[in-house]
Amino acid sequence: MSSGRLVLEAKGLHRNYGSVVAVDDLDLSMSEGEFLTIVGPNGAGKSTLLSMLSGAMRPTTGSVSVCGEQLDFGRQEWRHRIGMLSHQGFLYDRMTVEENLHFYGKLFGVTDLEDRIASRLRRVGLSERARSEVRKLSHGMRQRASLARALLHDPDVVLLDEPYSGLDPAASLVLRDVLEELKDGRRTVVMVTHNLREGLEMATRIAIQVAGRFHWEGSLKGAGWEDFESRYHRVVEGRV
Amino acid sequence: MSTYLTQVWAILRKDLVLEIRSRERVGAMCAFAVLTGVLFNFSIDTTTVRPNEVATGLIWMTLIFGGLLGVGRTFHLESQDGALQGILMSPAPKDAIFIGKLIANFVLLFVVSLLVLGVFGLFFGIDLGRNLSWVVFVLGIGSLGFVAVGTLFAAVAEGTHLRETLLPVLVFPLMVPMVIYGVGAMMPLLSGRPFTEVEGNVRMLGAFALAAVAAGAVLFRYVVED
Amino acid sequence: MTTAGMRRGGVVLTVLGLAGLIALYWMCFFWVSTEVNQGVIQRIFYVHVPAAWTSFLAIGFAALASGMYLWLRDDRLDRAALCAIEGGLVFATLVLTTGPLWGKIAWGTYWTWEPRLTLTLLLWFIFVGYIMVRNSTEDPDKGKRFAAVVAIIGALDIPFIHLSVVWFRSLHPEPVVAKPDGPTLPGDMLATLLFGVLVFSLLFFGLFLFRYAVEALRAEADLRARSAA
Repeated sequence: MSSGRLVLEAKGLHRNYGSVVAVDDLDLSMSEGEFLTIVGPNGAGKSTLLSMLSGAMRPTTGSVSVCGEQLDFGRQEWRHRIGMLSHQGFLYDRMTVEENLHFYGKLFGVTDLEDRIASRLRRVGLSERARSEVRKLSHGMRQRASLARALLHDPDVVLLDEPYSGLDPAASLVLRDVLEELKDGRRTVVMVTHNLREGLEMATRIAIQVAGRFHWEGSLKGAGWEDFESRYHRVVEGRV
Repeated sequence: MSTYLTQVWAILRKDLVLEIRSRERVGAMCAFAVLTGVLFNFSIDTTTVRPNEVATGLIWMTLIFGGLLGVGRTFHLESQDGALQGILMSPAPKDAIFIGKLIANFVLLFVVSLLVLGVFGLFFGIDLGRNLSWVVFVLGIGSLGFVAVGTLFAAVAEGTHLRETLLPVLVFPLMVPMVIYGVGAMMPLLSGRPFTEVEGNVRMLGAFALAAVAAGAVLFRYVVED
Repeated sequence: MTTAGMRRGGVVLTVLGLAGLIALYWMCFFWVSTEVNQGVIQRIFYVHVPAAWTSFLAIGFAALASGMYLWLRDDRLDRAALCAIEGGLVFATLVLTTGPLWGKIAWGTYWTWEPRLTLTLLLWFIFVGYIMVRNSTEDPDKGKRFAAVVAIIGALDIPFIHLSVVWFRSLHPEPVVAKPDGPTLPGDMLATLLFGVLVFSLLFFGLFLFRYAVEALRAEADLRARSAA
């Protein structure tokens, strides 16, 4: 565990849909600069966990705190601290990349909005497509635009739900660079994926989630991902 | 407060920009309104019923059906790329989101209602010259009340697997006061009666609209939270 | 209250209600004097009015429970709202059956847009809307929230619907009980009516507790299935 400031904390997090349990009494604490990758088979409750950490979904029981502040659904301030990139882009097809970012910037109350948009677009390499409607972009470009959207308000916690799915090599490269920068900038990152190869090398911590719980936590510690893969299969097969 | 207004304006502007670019809803609603007028014309036996006497009722019915057509899809455009989740994860209060979408829907429905008024006036030979500004005012309040209830339940319907099919069941029973007071105010106005005669009805229509907006703004957060 | 306690309470209230119902029918048919203007048909009034009272009690109760559910998120409140709505639906259906039966003889037509009958019809649709919404979501919690919103909006709209349909048309006999200068209904008729209201309220709460106990058992079974999984 790194010794930095505690940024993200979940206690006894539980969520069920009727009689189906998606996340089962899960605890998690993360400090600044940590990068957690959660892997697990489909239906393990990874997306539900991420939705609860992002404040998009209310836990059935348990609580989430960001920077020591418990997520209170009557208040909105803590939402400034969270940025989310999902496999959906949250973008409007009929608006340009710039207009989309402008819209979200206004909602988040970003002050130096024009400069911020220009710098984020430069970072994801979309400056020359700023005035294209989103529907005219390739999937990779959309994801890059969405990455710019997720980071527009400078969140402390960045949550990624299957960010690599369907990305072309150029977009994967941009994403990897941006994630490295977030890590260097002492941001806290949680990434969820069902594909083992993606982004494991960046993770400072890895968790294997099966049936709503973490069944293994650790890190690669110099071992290749092939070693991890065999461990993963042992853990998953033991629990399913 | 100014952040709040900025957020309302951002939602409102976004909805209007999207509507102006795609013209999906306004096109469908206007076509619906005109064609309904045509069908109504052939469904009335003009030898027994004087068209201008039933026109007021037909205008309100067209407004409600057409309104449901457009307002019912207001969250559909958010759900395409998960954008609704993006908005809900922003710090914008849920009531600001509701008010923004409500005003956008109001603008849309009000424009359509003016078209309905004009077209039905033409088709059924109503003299619109008398009390036109009061008639437009009544249509405006009626649209506001409808849009408040419609926007809230459009969010409900979008979250169910029945989608838009659920909307009439939920919305029509609640719309009875609006139809009664709306028609009750507009019919005398169109036949040249002074506004003072229908003031009570217009007040009730206004009270209904205000109550609907307030209830919607309070309850919307419970509909969209996950 | 425990589920077993609920069930016991349900049994007691329902048995009381059913016994009361027999007494009410006896009063209706053999005791109360015949109303002069309308004749024998007026006796349906002792079932019709208490049923209507109960269905409005149900929506009020459901809206209150729904509001508290949205606030406290206690599943028991949602269950209470659901059970009240289902009870309300039953009694509203009773109103919509007895009303036209009476109307056919009193007015010569099964259906008129009499304000209170119209209001009950719309209330019936609000009950149906509640049940439809509650059953049409994948995530049951979402259905509970949606349904709560329907109950609250429905209850808020009732005064507006009432005022508007009264304004629209009133063919029904003027209200006879709650007049400012005191009831004008003859004593035995008033007694029968009030007794009917009491009996129907008892029945409503008896059935409510039964239904609630079933829902509570279902929730327990769900919980057990969840912890076994």
